[in-house]
Amino acid sequence: MDKQILTFTLNGEPVQLEIEPHLTLLQVLREELELPGTKEGCGMGECGACTVLLDGKTVNSCIFPALEVEGKSVMTIEGVADAKRGLHPIQKAFVEHGAVQCGFCTPGMVLSAKALLDENPKPTEEEIRNGIAGNLCRCTGYLQIIEAIKAVSNQL
Amino acid sequence: MEEFINVGKRIPKLDAEEKVTGRAVYIHDLKFPGMLYGKILYSPHPHARIKGIDTSKAERLPGVKAVLTGNTIPPVKFGFYKDNVPLKAGKVRCCRDEVAAVAATDPDIAEEAIELIKVDYEILPAIFDPEEAMKEGALLVHEDHVGGKEKKPTNVLNLPWRFTAGDVEQARKDSAYVAQDRFRVTWVNHCCMGTSGCVALFDPKDNLTMYSITQIPSLAQKDYLGALSAMGLKEKKVRVIKTMIGGGFGSKLDTYAFEYIAILLAHKTRKPVKILFSREEEFFATSPRQPAIIDIAQGCTKDGRLTFRDIRMILDNGAYTSWGATTPSVMMMPISSLYQVPNVRYVAKCVYTNNTYSQAMRGYGNPQATFAIDSQIDTLAEMAGIDPLDFRLRNSNMPGEITPQNFKITTCGLKECIDAVAQKLDWRQNRGRRNGRGLGMASMIHVGGGARVYNSDGCGTIIKIDDFGTVNVITGATDMGQGADTVIAQIAAEELGVRVEDVVVTHTDTDVCPWDVGAHASRTTFVAGNSARGAARRVKEQLLEVAAKSMGESPEHLDIRNRVIYSKIDPEKKTPIGKILRAAHYAAGGRMMIAEYFYDPPNENLDPKEWKGNLSVTYAYGTHGVEVEVDKETGQVKILKYVAAHDVGRAINPMLLEGQVYGGVAMGIGYALTERLILKNGKVVNPNFLDYKMLTAKDVPNIEPIVIETNDPFGPFGAKGIGEPGLVPTAPAIANAIYDAVGVRIKELPITPERVLAALKEKEQG
Amino acid sequence: MKRFEYLRPKTLDEAIALLQHYGKKATLIAGGTDVIVMAKQKKVVPEVLISLQGIPGLDQIHSNGTLKLGPLVTHRAIEKSDVIQREYPALSDAVGWLGSIQIRNVATIGGNICTAAPSADTACPLLVLNAHLKIRGANSERTVPIDQFFIGPGQTTLSPGEILTEIEIPELLPNTGSAYWKHQRRLALDLPILGVAVLISLDKSTVTCSDLLCTTSPISAVLHRLEEDELLCKQIRIALGVAAPTPMRAKKAETLLRGKKISDELIEEVADTASKEAQPRDSIRGEAWYRRDMIKVLVKRMIMQSIERVVRPDENVFPERLW
Repeated sequence: MDKQILTFTLNGEPVQLEIEPHLTLLQVLREELELPGTKEGCGMGECGACTVLLDGKTVNSCIFPALEVEGKSVMTIEGVADAKRGLHPIQKAFVEHGAVQCGFCTPGMVLSAKALLDENPKPTEEEIRNGIAGNLCRCTGYLQIIEAIKAVSNQL
Repeated sequence: MEEFINVGKRIPKLDAEEKVTGRAVYIHDLKFPGMLYGKILYSPHPHARIKGIDTSKAERLPGVKAVLTGNTIPPVKFGFYKDNVPLKAGKVRCCRDEVAAVAATDPDIAEEAIELIKVDYEILPAIFDPEEAMKEGALLVHEDHVGGKEKKPTNVLNLPWRFTAGDVEQARKDSAYVAQDRFRVTWVNHCCMGTSGCVALFDPKDNLTMYSITQIPSLAQKDYLGALSAMGLKEKKVRVIKTMIGGGFGSKLDTYAFEYIAILLAHKTRKPVKILFSREEEFFATSPRQPAIIDIAQGCTKDGRLTFRDIRMILDNGAYTSWGATTPSVMMMPISSLYQVPNVRYVAKCVYTNNTYSQAMRGYGNPQATFAIDSQIDTLAEMAGIDPLDFRLRNSNMPGEITPQNFKITTCGLKECIDAVAQKLDWRQNRGRRNGRGLGMASMIHVGGGARVYNSDGCGTIIKIDDFGTVNVITGATDMGQGADTVIAQIAAEELGVRVEDVVVTHTDTDVCPWDVGAHASRTTFVAGNSARGAARRVKEQLLEVAAKSMGESPEHLDIRNRVIYSKIDPEKKTPIGKILRAAHYAAGGRMMIAEYFYDPPNENLDPKEWKGNLSVTYAYGTHGVEVEVDKETGQVKILKYVAAHDVGRAINPMLLEGQVYGGVAMGIGYALTERLILKNGKVVNPNFLDYKMLTAKDVPNIEPIVIETNDPFGPFGAKGIGEPGLVPTAPAIANAIYDAVGVRIKELPITPERVLAALKEKEQG
Repeated sequence: MKRFEYLRPKTLDEAIALLQHYGKKATLIAGGTDVIVMAKQKKVVPEVLISLQGIPGLDQIHSNGTLKLGPLVTHRAIEKSDVIQREYPALSDAVGWLGSIQIRNVATIGGNICTAAPSADTACPLLVLNAHLKIRGANSERTVPIDQFFIGPGQTTLSPGEILTEIEIPELLPNTGSAYWKHQRRLALDLPILGVAVLISLDKSTVTCSDLLCTTSPISAVLHRLEEDELLCKQIRIALGVAAPTPMRAKKAETLLRGKKISDELIEEVADTASKEAQPRDSIRGEAWYRRDMIKVLVKRMIMQSIERVVRPDENVFPERLW
């Protein structure tokens, strides 16, 4: 199978690489680009651990054909913190509110929270729960994650 | 009372920042040069004879470096009953039996190779019902397994699960009211978000390093050494290195077939071999919670004092034996000691079937037993015409009592928990409406001060302080996300007089870390905490000894607080710690500040005949209360209010403690209402997140935690364990609330809408 | 997942030509949330995936009397469309429940109905909205009413080489309300045990009703509250999901109410007939007896919910509980 060239923006930087056409975005991120922050929880789009932002919208990268990000911009967990300013307020809030236990769901959860607050800076609790409903977490029972997102929203 | 600087504070988890930036390294992220990927071929049949395996095509596939089958591996037997092998030869006994394994240069090739292996099976009849499997003449899962006094072939395991206290028969006769019910609980999965996996590699001398996500590094080491020995590799070393663990909940308390397979593949290929489970494998090839058929009778006097508890359990042991078969030893705890009940009898039988087999899961049998016990308490209370709240208060355990299992209850906040829950739910006003909304409560007991399951319940800690004041706490304990690292750091920092920021906790390498029996029984805060505290005390002594000289004070007059050593007699006399440390190290004939401490709690093994003994140093109590709304037309249950009161001794870290309660309750609600592993003819038919119904963020109700601090004299700064309790009384509390709401009692989990509706219809007709 | 080629034609004609060229070796892909999952599960083993994402103009929503949806309109776009929420609330209900936001951002309505699972969430709303599907082949264009589109589980009338190009919902009668209920075990990431959609058109609507009508009120209570003697049902459509091999219309039940005055007894009869018309089966996702029972309960509730949406068109309040 001939490889195809893929050009897109990743965490603010332009990226170009040659990939086999059947790869999912998750495979490209973890294996081709060696960014292991995005996790595979199920491989079927059923748990959200692999959530990344595509042009600001959340997608499950484990079932997303990599070639479809051509010309678009992708943000992974590695791109959330700012090199100069440090942790993103969402990341700080997660740390400070006990929203992180084993941490496996955390990268996907942070990105879903970011997409939510970028679109809707003052969500109700219902809207927060809906915003992270596609991210499964077994450790926290979600409540401290919801608290963390509320805390960020209050600062905005 | 002096205020603490570290203990009792809402300190963020030490590794939270690593995780929140995606830098934490899990087993999934490990890569080594030349690493191969292992994949396993499983049996599609629950019971079959293996007539032949043709691996030739797989072996010829480019990229495949090794193919193993049951006939080509050394005799490694594992599991405490020693009835399991990593690759099955001759016969397969359940649908997760490992039949062959492959190591290849990439995961896709490994998967392709697996598909090229042809196995010729002779399908045999299978048995899935444990009650059927117990009968004489039943189909045998292990033909050479004999048991009973006559040593006849049988599916019933030779396990000594019998407990008696007092005279149950007499007590039954003396009871004014007796309730008798059958309850059923089924398999549920841990659903760790990070699937299982390991990397095995040998050095040129055949010493093994295992990158693992085990909860029991020291015991796993022993298991791996056993494997090496069976492989003919004697006197070798094993090093276990833990990566960040993506969830445990008991699933990592066992050493699995896939780990032995990785070792065998690594040895054959002389390359690092990684095996990583897919989510599907995580559902069908890891061991779920132990199911049970519970026949229970309880009785009380006319004024509601419990007289007896008589329980018979049948446990579906599946095809091989793992920790599920030992859950009765833990189930004895609530059976004998939840509420005051003087006469107790308990018999449990574990039975081989061709189903999957179970191991440890958060609560380890306690949730199963408590579901039956505390559901029936409500039934008994109703028979006696007593409010279930009063019934529980009347029979509540008290500090200082000794239970029929010889547990010495020291601190006990059960009454306070029951009262707190009743108050939060406005129990007296709101209960008994029977209008679709209802209240229910249930309590729990769990070990809170370690549990002497093995000969040792100990944990070792080494603490060293460097010149700059960094305190390195090297512990045998395991953090799997629950917060052990942080709590240990807080305890050590508080004892030593420094701040949590000064502490680095190392817990991941058996070459460095001392021995610990494992992260189970909610023992880590208590045992590892006390161990860290002991080591901190010793290092502090060393520090004060050195400080005494330079400060011109005797060591007994000195103390440390907030990084400053000061004289208790003359508080103006003080020196920052750093100064003393550098002086100690750089002075002629200098010394290091380093100390070790092994804490083995003063608890007892249960004696192997009567099963009595003070298993733990202290016991954790709690009560949950819930308000539900039941849709009488659809059977759906909605939780309106949830209150979880726990006697925690002391909350070392209230924020992390709440996290354990929230997470436990969420898992418990799933257990009660939505979760089950569905097996049809021995095969898991819902091995995915779509059809296995774990709670999402929209499903979990708001949970109000109530923390009762009873300040245990033996716990570090008074603390008891909290890891498991959040999950134990959830199901009975919900079942009791449903009964209050619509008058039907569901005795089988999960309480699905179908079960509620069927019960409502039956009630209407009956 | 077996390797495949990934092609991105720029026009529909190009896509159709590629489909013809590769025949059985190729599968069409829109968002991919079904196709990639099926490829991973080896339910499909394509050698070539032909993506529609490169073709402009297929993701538009046009509404002026009729509603026209391009096949690549994502469920998220439908969720956010004010006009759909106001005028075609059954569709809005359906996409709101579907999967998760991550799925809805990518999954398309065309993909949802072409995968044709009996549980497809958008199928029932489109059935009651009487959607017409425009289909283009190499040399043909045809329009198929949606109730003839599904012919079996996972099977549609699409022939090899044909592509769905538009979903058109014809103009609704005045005083029309619709609703969809996804009966599920969890509130997200779930497939329905049963899906029920209803569309109802009344002969009039009395608009001055500002307090919430509980959806489980009997119609007699509603009539009393609205101070009406009678309400006539001018049009009724009922669609059921996971109640038969394909999403289905409960046509026998519909005829009982169409053109008649609405009454408690009639609604009861309609719900009962719908439940008898359906052919639910036992599966790991639900038992047949329960599905049949729920058809009765939920058809009643959705009729009332649809009536409520006629009466209060400006506030599309979805009740938190249906009891």
